[in-house]
Amino acid sequence: MLAKDAPTIWNALKGIICVYKPADVSCNRVAKTVIHKICSELNEMDCRPPIDYVSIEGDPSGELTVITKPSLADDPLVVGPRYQPKDIRCTWSSYLGVNTSGVLLLGIQNGTKLAMRIRNNKLVRAYRIKGLLGLATDNYYKDGKVVEKSTFKFIKAFNIEKLLASMQAAHQRKMFDTCGVDLQSQAAYELAVKGPIRPSHSKIPLIYGIKCVHFEPPEFTIEVHCINEYEMYLKALMQEIGMKLHSTAHCTGIQCIRHSYFNLDHALLQKHWTLQNIITNLEECNDIIEEHKDLTIQENIALQYG
Amino acid sequence: MKMNNAKLFLNICKTNIRTISTKRRKYPLDPEGVNQLPVFDYAVSKSTYNRLFVWGAVPTGALGIPYQTKDLKRIEQIRYPKRSSLAEYNEVTKIGCGFGFTAFGVNSDSNVKLYGTGLNTDSQLGYHEVRTNKPLGILYFPQPIHLPFMNPEKATIKKLSGGRAHFVVLTNEGLFLLGNNAYGQCGRSIIADECYSGNKFIHHIKNIDGKAVIDIQCGQDHTLAITEDGAVYSCGWGADGQTGLGHFNCQDQFTKVQGDIASERILKVASRSDFVLALNDKGEVFGWGNTEYAQLSLKDDIQQIANPTSIEMCKSLGKIKDIASGGSFCVVLTEEGRVFVWGYGILGTGPAVQYSKTPLEIPLTLFGVNDFQPDTQVKSVTCGVNHICAVTNNGDLYTWGRNKGGCLGLKDDKDQYFPLRVAISGYVKHTACGVDHTVALCKPFI
Repeated sequence: MLAKDAPTIWNALKGIICVYKPADVSCNRVAKTVIHKICSELNEMDCRPPIDYVSIEGDPSGELTVITKPSLADDPLVVGPRYQPKDIRCTWSSYLGVNTSGVLLLGIQNGTKLAMRIRNNKLVRAYRIKGLLGLATDNYYKDGKVVEKSTFKFIKAFNIEKLLASMQAAHQRKMFDTCGVDLQSQAAYELAVKGPIRPSHSKIPLIYGIKCVHFEPPEFTIEVHCINEYEMYLKALMQEIGMKLHSTAHCTGIQCIRHSYFNLDHALLQKHWTLQNIITNLEECNDIIEEHKDLTIQENIALQYG
Repeated sequence: MKMNNAKLFLNICKTNIRTISTKRRKYPLDPEGVNQLPVFDYAVSKSTYNRLFVWGAVPTGALGIPYQTKDLKRIEQIRYPKRSSLAEYNEVTKIGCGFGFTAFGVNSDSNVKLYGTGLNTDSQLGYHEVRTNKPLGILYFPQPIHLPFMNPEKATIKKLSGGRAHFVVLTNEGLFLLGNNAYGQCGRSIIADECYSGNKFIHHIKNIDGKAVIDIQCGQDHTLAITEDGAVYSCGWGADGQTGLGHFNCQDQFTKVQGDIASERILKVASRSDFVLALNDKGEVFGWGNTEYAQLSLKDDIQQIANPTSIEMCKSLGKIKDIASGGSFCVVLTEEGRVFVWGYGILGTGPAVQYSKTPLEIPLTLFGVNDFQPDTQVKSVTCGVNHICAVTNNGDLYTWGRNKGGCLGLKDDKDQYFPLRVAISGYVKHTACGVDHTVALCKPFI
């Protein structure tokens, strides 16, 4: 059970929390909502009373009395609530686009530094992307204008599986170009033997694993493990798959199911965004970060995948 | 102060009130118009259609890609897989490479079953002329090769294989051997001072010792044939013992190879230069020929072996599925999909290893086996003289070795010291390697 004392909670509020970001809401709004929730709940608890106002009253020639009373200049009714949203620093360790839902890591207070370190470490994220065959839209997403229709009856599950296997192998070869090591050196060989490696560049999207997890034409779902991706890239990927299969496709939903060691089980749903749950989640996430040192300190560009 | 408070209030409001943004669209949504859109039906390729990709040195003409003479100085190599138009007009089913030339077997109703391109100095691709009595020494794009079939319409090409300057076609009507016969590699009597340029003679062998031939393989200047009972027959240049006949002379008739394989049923032989590997039905490997690069790793350092010898060090690797033999190294693929190399040259285990007497395993991670794709397996291996190709069950092609003429297809001219995937748009089915070029037969994605 949570302590009733707001300053104790306030001091404990630093680290990473893992929330479930709903689709069609921006990361910024999620962060603001969480902060607002924290503030309003903190303000309902036992806050610091106003500081004392000391006044010495009486006639200076006679006896003086020292009176202490609550300072009006520090009263919540004058200066506003004790805890205000602008007091809490908050940032995300991977930006999810507006249409994406799923695991979002937020760094709170001193945890913002940790969030930055996780962001710079280029960890693998996993997405589940839903697509629809037969229709192409102008923005590759379901809310766009339909620009083309085509048939898709001839596409079988093995067609899409084989195409994705080929795309995956092509991306795994691309990671050698982006790792910044001379391919003719012994170092490159030793890296290659270890398996997948991280890119040195933070702008080029790189897919490590891509497979079809559900295929029921016209709907299909693929699961992607990637680094440096962004929402438009994933939408365009669906469009490209459609084109390669001699048809058209657009994206109908993107869900981030995993961010390195954090998965959907750790993510707090919107209905659970309460101070109690946030504090519990903070501790849980801290345990994960303590356990896996490679989240914050990376000594190797090999992909140490958990 | 007043201003600050107003801002504060707005800030609080922002966190509570959800504003609805209305995005202005350049092309407004048109739900009704969707129904009026035409439905496109894009073509899907036929099940028999294959894509053909070629890459490597251009001047030999072995790629069969037409170019102008003025381009030749500029484009000496094609360093990436380039799609050949031959397969778009014909149904290419078989490919075979020699030293600077390529042949394509097609499935057709007409009597043209074979196309060839590349060096034709010894008439290894048949007789071709533009002007009378001026035979072409180089074919720059695929030309039909007319073989003297008994029944041209029903003939099928089963296997193609080329050597340094000779070329062998296995068909349902037996063997057809073209080109240089200076060492008897065409299986006919050696004629002193025979002029091979512009030679119109095509040697035909229906069967050997009354047995049908099921597989052929050309080395540099020798030819090996496997008959239906699993026996190996050879002819040609034998100075390093590569004919495996127990002597070091030229052999001008197909003769049965004895030695350790005399009573074995051989499924495959592999030879690209002067060393031969043979694989029997039990998954054991035999070798003969030039072993100066420790291809056989014998104790008494003999450099030429003219009798097939069982390779003992391969028995501990498990059952062997596929074999390949390059100029100075050997590659075997086991039943579990592990790849082993030994010999001299770029073996594929990093730049530090140039020479190995014992089989070295190439880590499977280099062939794309990792947490994301654990069921990848190498399916087949092929050797050029200086480079190696491996194809996985997903249809990915991995190459490594010396990059002579850009034959690795990795878009650069540098040697590759470990397997790297070639960017090719299709699932690779077969590969064939020459000295400085490579050809791959692929299935389209859909």
